[in-house]
Amino acid sequence: MKRKLTVASAVFAASVVLGFAAPASFAQNKPAEKPIINPAPTAKDWADIGKLPDWSGVWNPNISDQDRKHRSEPPPWNAKAAAVIAFQAKELKEGRPTPLFTNCLPEAHPSWMLVSHNAMEILFTPGRVTMLGESDAGRLRRIYTDGRKHPPDVDPTFHGHSIGHWEGDTLVVDTVGIHPQVYIATHEAFGIPNQGNMRVIERIRLAKPDELHFTIKIIAPNVLTKEYETTRTWFRQRARKFDLVEGVCQEGWFAPRIDKDGWHIWAPQPHDVGGNRIPPP
Amino acid sequence: MKSSIKKAVLLSAMAGLTSGAYPVAAHHATTMFDHAKVVTVTGTVKEVHWTNPHVGIYVEVAQDGQAPALWVLEMTSPGNLVRSGGWTRTSVKPGDKVVVDMSPLRDGKKGGALKKITLTDTGKFLTADIRAQERANLEQEAPAK
Amino acid sequence: MRNIRREVLALLGLSLMPGVALAQVAKPAAGKPVINPPPTAKEWADLAKLPDWTGVWTHVRSDQDRQMKTNPPPWNEKAAKVIEWQYAEERAGRPPPLFQNCLPEAMPAWMLVTHNAMEIIFSPGRVTMLGESDSARLRRIYTDGRGHSEDPDPTFHGESIGKWEGDTLHVDTIAMHPQNYIAISEAQGIPNGGDMHIKEKMFLQKPEVWADELTITAPKVLTKPWVTTRIYYRQRLRRLDIVEGTCLEGYFRPAVDKDGYPVWEKISHDPYGNRTPPK
Repeated sequence: MKRKLTVASAVFAASVVLGFAAPASFAQNKPAEKPIINPAPTAKDWADIGKLPDWSGVWNPNISDQDRKHRSEPPPWNAKAAAVIAFQAKELKEGRPTPLFTNCLPEAHPSWMLVSHNAMEILFTPGRVTMLGESDAGRLRRIYTDGRKHPPDVDPTFHGHSIGHWEGDTLVVDTVGIHPQVYIATHEAFGIPNQGNMRVIERIRLAKPDELHFTIKIIAPNVLTKEYETTRTWFRQRARKFDLVEGVCQEGWFAPRIDKDGWHIWAPQPHDVGGNRIPPP
Repeated sequence: MKSSIKKAVLLSAMAGLTSGAYPVAAHHATTMFDHAKVVTVTGTVKEVHWTNPHVGIYVEVAQDGQAPALWVLEMTSPGNLVRSGGWTRTSVKPGDKVVVDMSPLRDGKKGGALKKITLTDTGKFLTADIRAQERANLEQEAPAK
Repeated sequence: MRNIRREVLALLGLSLMPGVALAQVAKPAAGKPVINPPPTAKEWADLAKLPDWTGVWTHVRSDQDRQMKTNPPPWNEKAAKVIEWQYAEERAGRPPPLFQNCLPEAMPAWMLVTHNAMEIIFSPGRVTMLGESDSARLRRIYTDGRGHSEDPDPTFHGESIGKWEGDTLHVDTIAMHPQNYIAISEAQGIPNGGDMHIKEKMFLQKPEVWADELTITAPKVLTKPWVTTRIYYRQRLRRLDIVEGTCLEGYFRPAVDKDGYPVWEKISHDPYGNRTPPK
């Protein structure tokens, strides 16, 4: 990773190994560093997952606890952000909750972890922990546990670039590269765009056999006066009838209809600004 | 036929794309509903949208001397309803006669957040409280408080 | 409004009713609920004995095109006419926008016509497929021995049951939305109309070539089952790792509001899904 190769032949060599022909554009796109190949997992890699804490099943959030933390552990907002939060409180009280999450973009990190009202599952594979959220498939975190570092120039995304490592039974996750638009939210109607340069460090562990605790530290110098740390709790379900189900946020914008020729189509479904279906006139 | 599918395809394509259609249902706070009030309506279910992010139920409410009016009830996600209220996709079906308790929209439109729906024929009822799932192993009886 | 009983029950706690409801309604109907057992160490170790499908799988566009030309679906008459019209539209520069609303390509169209990579995740009792570009491309295939549910909820990707026979994963999928397209390209496709059933054989054709042989039965639009195969190439180069994809992100642009906060600002698109130039 550190050694710099100047020749495109490294790429070519890699492509030969991989068994595909390098297109012309590929060869021109010469990387500064030696290409890294993700190794195929070994039998030991798979067997070793059996030694990790068991996080299988479905996890649903403790929403009452979210509400409590929203009141008892407010983030150390800077003055500018605090003024917005005060406005949002007033709006909520007057029945006009600020529609932070009504455009079907992901709640994103860390808001998903902080305010989600929906269940998730966590999949372990060699070198990766993958979190999949219900209700909207845009809730998807890929946490690399294969020892890699953050890339020097991360493409910003909704969930950022996450690397994790195990400290005993605790998974420690470090995330950077999150879009500056992504909210730090403590409630569905209270949140501030993080403004960039945010870093989130989580310590995730089973506090009880069927309770997963996320201790979340948020470093967001553009909106917080100091680091903010808070904890969220999720409950395990193993009953098959509570298995995670497919969720596509966009589906709520459409209604199933049959057109005059008998074709099944998705017809647009109007909604109001708050995100509710509009009753037909 | 051809023009119809074309129209349908274009229509559905444009639904998402014209900016006016973009504020949409998602994961939102619910104080646009007045949770201090309960409005009860009696009617017949017309449609059930068993969808994410929120399930919607359309109920045709007949009122004395007036044309029947359609009410729209908003709820939480299908997964949450299954875990917190014992719902299935077919718990409430088009044609069912129902009594609905809701927190009404503050703006007075015919809609609300569903609190409880009772099937008139059987007396069975379902609720939609997202917080009724806050423990592990929900299939087991809740421990006595 | 006379028939509407309007009651003001300011003090009615939300917590009162759910408990009652749970006791009356949410109780298991009959028998014991099925519990998914926690995976054992052996189950984890056994995953290593399965064929190795790790890495990133990229679609093969030219092969998709070949299939479209040489192995078209046995459309019924009504569907064939629409397909003919869709070809004419495409030739005229108006490709029918089948996938422009950020709903999932769904089954089977995702497997048939996707232009994006995917990854396949093995866990005890599950195979999970995640598609790039839009995270709603997500298939959960249960390999824990369960059968199909009695009355599965229809979804974009259906209910999938998988079973390993040697090195081939056999997947049986039902309960897909009738709106899901059977598509042969991004501009040619027909809503399946319901009662669709898909059987797949997934296997490594070569060490780095993954194949999905689909048998699609769709009595509302096909005259007989359609068998077609798609292939994907493996990539292990780290810089080609799968990246986050949110279809809707393309309908917004990053902007800064008057107070200096970064926000997502809606942008306009034409009916074909292309951004429209500002006026």
